[in-house]
Amino acid sequence: MRKKLLLISMVLLGAVLLSACAGGAVRGTTWPGLTADENTAYLADLSLVFGINLKDGKEAWRFSDQQDKKAQFYAHPVLTPDGLVIVGSASGKHILYALDPSDLLVNGNFKSPAVEWTFTGAGGPWVASSLIVNDMLFAPNSDGNLYVFDLNDGQSQKQPVKVIELGGRLWAQPVTDGERVFVTSLDHSVSAVDVESYSVVWHDDISAAIPGSPAIGPDGNLYVGSLASQLEQFNPETGEHKPVLEAKDWIWSTPTFDGDTLYFGDLKGNFYSFNTTDASLNWSVQPDGAITASAILQNDHLLLATESGNIYAIDKDGSVLWFEQVRDAKVNGKIYTTPVTAGDLILVAPLGTEFYLAALDSNGRQVWTFVPGK
Amino acid sequence: MWDLFISIFINVLLWIYNAIGQNFGIAIILFTILIRIVTWPLNAQQMKGAKAMQDMQNDKEWQAIQKKYAKDKEKLAQEQMRVYREKGINPFGSCLPTLIQFPIIIALYQSIIRALAATPLDLLKLSRSINPAFLDVTDLIPLNSKFLWMNLGQPEPYYILAIVVAATTYIQSKLTLPPSTNPNDQSAAMGQSMTITMPLMLGWFALTFPSGLAVYFITSNVLGIIQYAAQGKANWSNLLPKSMRKES
Repeated sequence: MRKKLLLISMVLLGAVLLSACAGGAVRGTTWPGLTADENTAYLADLSLVFGINLKDGKEAWRFSDQQDKKAQFYAHPVLTPDGLVIVGSASGKHILYALDPSDLLVNGNFKSPAVEWTFTGAGGPWVASSLIVNDMLFAPNSDGNLYVFDLNDGQSQKQPVKVIELGGRLWAQPVTDGERVFVTSLDHSVSAVDVESYSVVWHDDISAAIPGSPAIGPDGNLYVGSLASQLEQFNPETGEHKPVLEAKDWIWSTPTFDGDTLYFGDLKGNFYSFNTTDASLNWSVQPDGAITASAILQNDHLLLATESGNIYAIDKDGSVLWFEQVRDAKVNGKIYTTPVTAGDLILVAPLGTEFYLAALDSNGRQVWTFVPGK
Repeated sequence: MWDLFISIFINVLLWIYNAIGQNFGIAIILFTILIRIVTWPLNAQQMKGAKAMQDMQNDKEWQAIQKKYAKDKEKLAQEQMRVYREKGINPFGSCLPTLIQFPIIIALYQSIIRALAATPLDLLKLSRSINPAFLDVTDLIPLNSKFLWMNLGQPEPYYILAIVVAATTYIQSKLTLPPSTNPNDQSAAMGQSMTITMPLMLGWFALTFPSGLAVYFITSNVLGIIQYAAQGKANWSNLLPKSMRKES
């Protein structure tokens, strides 16, 4: 009897452990997406998308798909010129939603934005954010397709005007120089798509996966970091490319331009300043922790978030001006999401903390934190 | 420690994946064969333990103490332990090896999820699980998750694998169930209930979890059946209905 009980207990324990590992809606499955305008922060954090009032950090609304309980969101929400919030779900039915926060409906104890339109035809998770160019939405999906939608066609069940097969898993938001949209893929490729004809202008491979977006320099060249630890420079017209810098580890983050200088980090925690005019390294520092988030410019310095949960203000000569830990009463957060500035606030969405979002002032001091209601 | 265990699994899996031309389904099958070889002594011990426990049910001394101490559970347990000791039998010898496979299943599940890296955080974790001195994965990532009609990182949508998992688990359980002549044989009753419970549970796992795990279950079951058959210990008659079994 004891043996039987032991066996059954272990079988159940195994089932529970496996279920626990399934990833479901456990916070920490991956890092959240974050965007802001002057009044509101938009946070995509697994099963929920939040609108958070920037004045006080209170929840203005939340969205979850009641028809698709498995839906999870972690791409950065994208804002359209007429105030819609575009978010795609990375599991469940892989739906792309346009939410209208100007039309809030009561949903239980919470307010929820009306769904203006949806697109249900994608074959994979929405990990990348979309890009809006001339009222057209360029939406890369993990099924390898770049979907192009007309934002003004009035459809509630959106159909793409064009589906461009680029291949691989498209995980990064595209960028544009006005003539072309540039898309990176985990499938080792970079593609340029004409914004008018939607034809693929060029499609070129490098030797490794590219999880981040490209950066376009003032000279028009494209800079891409890869898991081969190389920073590659692309000619935007032809796709010709060459490595210009070897980093010490995988480059995940999207490089950030300031004039001719490019800033980016690697997974060993090195942060680089690279001069694109003469392809030389200005300096590199290693604050702490892996860097997956992009650096952002604030006033005359850079803000950098690391996996260790610290926010660094780094001068353009590489010296650290200040740093602050983003933590709750118990633990340091882990920061993978690129912070966002909104007015004087620095918004940080860490993993592991009790709060989902923290607003810091320009010196890194905590102004408020956001903990969602049950 | 657990992460180290997962890392070893991932490195071996990816090494196989690279060596065979980047087919993750075949890599899982070969990896399962490797695991069966490594855990062969455990399986052998399980079979030996099961047989010893079965023989014990038909042992006259054992049956005598069951009768004698039927109303004194404490004394019965003491006597049972004495008989186990005297005969050199470990009462958990048949089930512990089975239980040891659970960490392997969980580690394999986590390895598959991490290796296929469906989310950015999984890809980041994968980068930390790989030993660059052992394997350069720059060219390998992202892994090809397609195998036959399946995406190995997602549950199989047509229920085919779940049915095959349940069926092979059932067949394996039935083949390895020793015949019992004692109607009060508790371990035989437990074995009978496990032949129903295990296929249902593993079938549910196959339905719910990534299909790569189901590929592991099927391969492991088929290898188990082959192993028992090769050793001449498979009870093929157990697959027949009871009425036909008597005739044969």
